[in-house]
Amino acid sequence: MTVNMTTSSSSASSTAQFFNMDYEDIVALLFTMRDMAITQFHRIPGSAILTRYIKMSYQHDPARSVIELCLVIFAIRYMLSPKYSTQKKNFVKLRADEVDELIEDWTPEPLVAPLTEFEQEQIEKTPVIAGPTGPKVKLTNGRTVTNLASTNFYNLASQPALTESAISTLRTYGVGPCGPPGFYGTQDVHMDCERDISEFIGSQACIIYAQAFSTISAVIPAFAKRGDIIVADEKSSFAIQKALQLSRSTLRWYKHNDMEDLEKVLKKVEREFRGRELTRRFIVTEAIFEDGGDVADLATIVKLKWQYKYRLILDETNSFGVVGATGRGLTEYYNLPATEVDMICGTLSTTFVGGGGFCCGSNEIVHHQRISGLAYVFSAALPAMLATTVSEVIKMLRENPENFTDPLRENIKTFHAALAKTDALTVTSSVINPAISIVLNGKREMSTDEQDRMAQDVVDECLANGVLVTRVKRIALPAGMAKGPKWFGWNPAMAIKVYVSTGFSKKECEKAGGVIRSAATKVVGRKR
Amino acid sequence: MNMPDGGPARLHSGSISKGGRRRRSSSIIYVEPPETIEQLSDQVALPNLNANWVNNKGAWLIHPVCIAGLKIFYDTIPGVSQETSWTLTNITYMFATYLMFHYVQGIPFEFNSGAYDNLNMWEQMDNGDQYTPSKKFLTSVPILLFLLSTHYTHYDITFFIVNTMALMSVIIPKLPSVHRMRVVMPWSQPIEELDGEEPS
Repeated sequence: MTVNMTTSSSSASSTAQFFNMDYEDIVALLFTMRDMAITQFHRIPGSAILTRYIKMSYQHDPARSVIELCLVIFAIRYMLSPKYSTQKKNFVKLRADEVDELIEDWTPEPLVAPLTEFEQEQIEKTPVIAGPTGPKVKLTNGRTVTNLASTNFYNLASQPALTESAISTLRTYGVGPCGPPGFYGTQDVHMDCERDISEFIGSQACIIYAQAFSTISAVIPAFAKRGDIIVADEKSSFAIQKALQLSRSTLRWYKHNDMEDLEKVLKKVEREFRGRELTRRFIVTEAIFEDGGDVADLATIVKLKWQYKYRLILDETNSFGVVGATGRGLTEYYNLPATEVDMICGTLSTTFVGGGGFCCGSNEIVHHQRISGLAYVFSAALPAMLATTVSEVIKMLRENPENFTDPLRENIKTFHAALAKTDALTVTSSVINPAISIVLNGKREMSTDEQDRMAQDVVDECLANGVLVTRVKRIALPAGMAKGPKWFGWNPAMAIKVYVSTGFSKKECEKAGGVIRSAATKVVGRKR
Repeated sequence: MNMPDGGPARLHSGSISKGGRRRRSSSIIYVEPPETIEQLSDQVALPNLNANWVNNKGAWLIHPVCIAGLKIFYDTIPGVSQETSWTLTNITYMFATYLMFHYVQGIPFEFNSGAYDNLNMWEQMDNGDQYTPSKKFLTSVPILLFLLSTHYTHYDITFFIVNTMALMSVIIPKLPSVHRMRVVMPWSQPIEELDGEEPS
């Protein structure tokens, strides 16, 4: 600044004589100005260092000085550039009047779509049970019916001994722990229950979740993240599908229970991801499928899992307690140690007449979930009386399993035999599955609505004859979403569901089976 | 991908198909496409602890402190001349910052479900904004260090070339015009859509 001011003031005073000067005068003036500028420059603190630096920098090599000068210019330019965002603004900026206009035009859609005629009809006809559940239940309309619509497989739901133990727990512990397990929610009964389950199944450790549905949807995202690979059965239940969606992992589906296709998919994944960063890989399957009721080929899956270096997540929701010689689940059925499966998940709310779900695995796998299983961390713990009930049931199952599994298997067989006598229906579920899936054999192709209607007719017909059964309920396809690898919904094959229980005698089973058979024959025959 | 304009047009370049992460097989330059709405919501779910610390107090001071420490360390090694010591300091600093800011991708913590897996730390900083104070500081430090080290190596041509190459390796990835850009070798695995749909 000082330099410039001096120069300008001296040039201002000399402007008048400028045109009268000859060449030498001008040169002399320029030299004077230069000397003055240099004097002023030397007055700036640190100027000596800069001069020395520049002098030394030059060193008879102008190319290097040019590079350094370019760098300095770049740095100064970078310093002076204004900040800007690289984020894309994916919205349109609207004027106030445009906003008003849009608000004016907007008519909100109803939060819930109005009920269709069929839905309205279903609500009106839904049977309501008065009193506790059991093999024979009293409906609010006064009739007593055979209950084949409850997952009360061992008829323990209203067992006096269990009720007694639940009441005494209630008196000691109160209703709910009122806190998440990691925050004063864990009680000694929870730890006992976890130990009982892991000892029963034969795994190192176990963790219990407070809700059955959110068990698998907490377990899978706790381990699988974006970039990890999950190979799953395409008929996986809705809970598993939600879990897969939440995990944000890379998904590959294999054809339902098709081990050749599974191997093909595993090979393809290996080819596709060769040379890439190694990420976690999982196979996810249900033990007994909610959709169709058939049994997964666990022996082959375990073999493939070891061969291709995957971890296996097995959802035993429909099999734990009822499958296997002593009810220890699918691993027992295939004579495999439970440690062969990395994570076994299941529910405690059906066979075990308690509540919540569990996940069994190694100590590390369980410990990891205590911090990263979202449903464990952010939900209140299981009520103490449900935990003690589960422990009691496990004790009963360990003491004399044949009292439970044998009659159940007998009853399933009786039902299968009773239902086999007609071509109006096909039983798709396995003979070890107490939740029997019955598919109606309509003669012609039917739309989903027609299938729903026909199944509902069979359910109604059964109820009219004193047998309470239920049918598969589907979740409507979200608007604008097609079924594909990214679609997560629940669209199983339409079927009548019959839940067999040990609470029935052979005769009752035959009679109920006969009612369902004749109802199916009647309805299917009418529709032909 | 129906977005109004704004932001550099190169994000729409032909090397990306249908908004997915897919590299055109002939191109060695790959530009990381903008995140999907799912990734964006995971990114903002929790603060990005991996990149936010550069704006903290003391994060700037640590650079001169580390450089001075490195210089002292190399000076204490017997038989190392001033020229070598400066060059080693320069190379070590450049290499360490390259590794930290430009080589490693993603976040060591699992707070964002892997939503930052495809971005290095420089791209994560300040949400990808350019010319922020921290970025200006972190760009000027290597330039200053380079000028110092070339000066004290007395303009030996070998040291000069080594130092310049080290500097370029950290300056070029910091340029706003190479934001989210990757060089993919023709023989390496193509970057493909990893989540969701199977590549057809």
